[in-house]
Amino acid sequence: MKIISSIIFLFISIAFVNAQSLRGNIPEKKMIKIPASDFKTFYVSKTNKPIVVNAFSMDEYAVTNAEYLEFVKANTVWSRSKVNRLFADVNYLKYWESDFDIGRSNKNIYNSPVVNVSWFAARAYCKWKGKRLPTLAEWEVAGNAPPKNIAYTSVTDYIMKWYEKPPLPVLPNVKSTYQNIYGLYDMNGLVWEWTFDFNSFISTGDSRNTTNDNTNLFCAGASINVTNREDYAAFLRYGFRGSLKGNYCINSLGFRCAKNINIK
Amino acid sequence: MKKYSAFFLAIALFYSCKNGNNTSINNTVSADSGSTKQTIEKKANAISAQSIFMLADTFKTQHNNNFVLASLEGKPTVVGMIFTNCGYACPRLTSDMKNIADRLKANRGKVNFLLVSFDSERDTPAQLQKFAKQMELDSAWILLHGSDETVRTLSVLLNVQFEKDAEGNFSHSNLITVLDKQGLLSFQKEGLEADHAETLAKINELMN
Repeated sequence: MKIISSIIFLFISIAFVNAQSLRGNIPEKKMIKIPASDFKTFYVSKTNKPIVVNAFSMDEYAVTNAEYLEFVKANTVWSRSKVNRLFADVNYLKYWESDFDIGRSNKNIYNSPVVNVSWFAARAYCKWKGKRLPTLAEWEVAGNAPPKNIAYTSVTDYIMKWYEKPPLPVLPNVKSTYQNIYGLYDMNGLVWEWTFDFNSFISTGDSRNTTNDNTNLFCAGASINVTNREDYAAFLRYGFRGSLKGNYCINSLGFRCAKNINIK
Repeated sequence: MKKYSAFFLAIALFYSCKNGNNTSINNTVSADSGSTKQTIEKKANAISAQSIFMLADTFKTQHNNNFVLASLEGKPTVVGMIFTNCGYACPRLTSDMKNIADRLKANRGKVNFLLVSFDSERDTPAQLQKFAKQMELDSAWILLHGSDETVRTLSVLLNVQFEKDAEGNFSHSNLITVLDKQGLLSFQKEGLEADHAETLAKINELMN
């Protein structure tokens, strides 16, 4: 009897340990509800109607190295040595010590945003969490909300200050910049972030131009169709997105996840 | 005897060719199921890790049949991404591809022609079939409908930019892509009414 009960106990504890390791030790992160709004794309023609962005929720802060490590451990195809080059280039997680080790020398960045991750990797992570990547419109709505706990009232001014600064040798931890009125941390000032439709076309309607209409935005003398000509920050952000490919892994580019809000 | 040695030589050659990629652990991405699958391919002709065929999602054809990109294997494929409500650029892009098909003449049966719609909502298989008739596309053409996720993933793999506006229309780059027999991206040409000589040369090279 004793033997049986100890065997049962053993099984239960194994199951418990397994469940623990699957769930990981990091608590589920808080998600912030972003109310529905109209989004006017940064680059629009006069006829363009604003896009309706439904209410959604978004991670309070970007996915950290520690969080991403749990994903890699649970999905080894996304480890550095196994990942397919179609889905992540050679710079994938290159600053980590090894496949499943962020590294001792990196201990200050366990809670910093994970960077050098591709769009495919970011998307896989969010799926694993039962979430998804935010759309570009969702990200812009969330990211353009004014700060609430710093001196800057204009996001643009704040961002321009960020762009001026040389990159820090060690990427600061999440929650180290500012919180916006929705309660989201570091929407600007820490890393750039992937969006689901980062490869959106910056134009409207059928393009009669044989290449694409980005020239109107970037080369044609004045940026006539840009909604807010002062918004250089958005200008840079859109330009940066346009230069990306899905398998690029860049040291200033991370991500956070979003989720639909089910209306009952 | 001569016959036999030729036979053995063929086998030897066959084996030496397939050695490079006969067993590979592949990391496929599926937007439909949302999971990353690890499949161990033991087929002689395992899909190359860099192949677009690694996208394991299921599409629907204009005949409402299920379709995976891997079934394009064996022939080079000319790919365009379109939407059928498109006023100007898409019929042009389709015409450009038709033009390529016509210029292939006798060889056109050796090439797949693929049109994938951005418009998951309106471009149902029935609508795609209507479009195929309207554009006089023959049976060599495969028109595909996929979910938002699937289509976005394909667009990322093909470096095609696209965006849906408030009216449900799409702005997009006009890119004609040529895939080799294994689904590797071999050639891309941007622009409408471009000179297709280069594209044709590439297709001819890949057919052999």
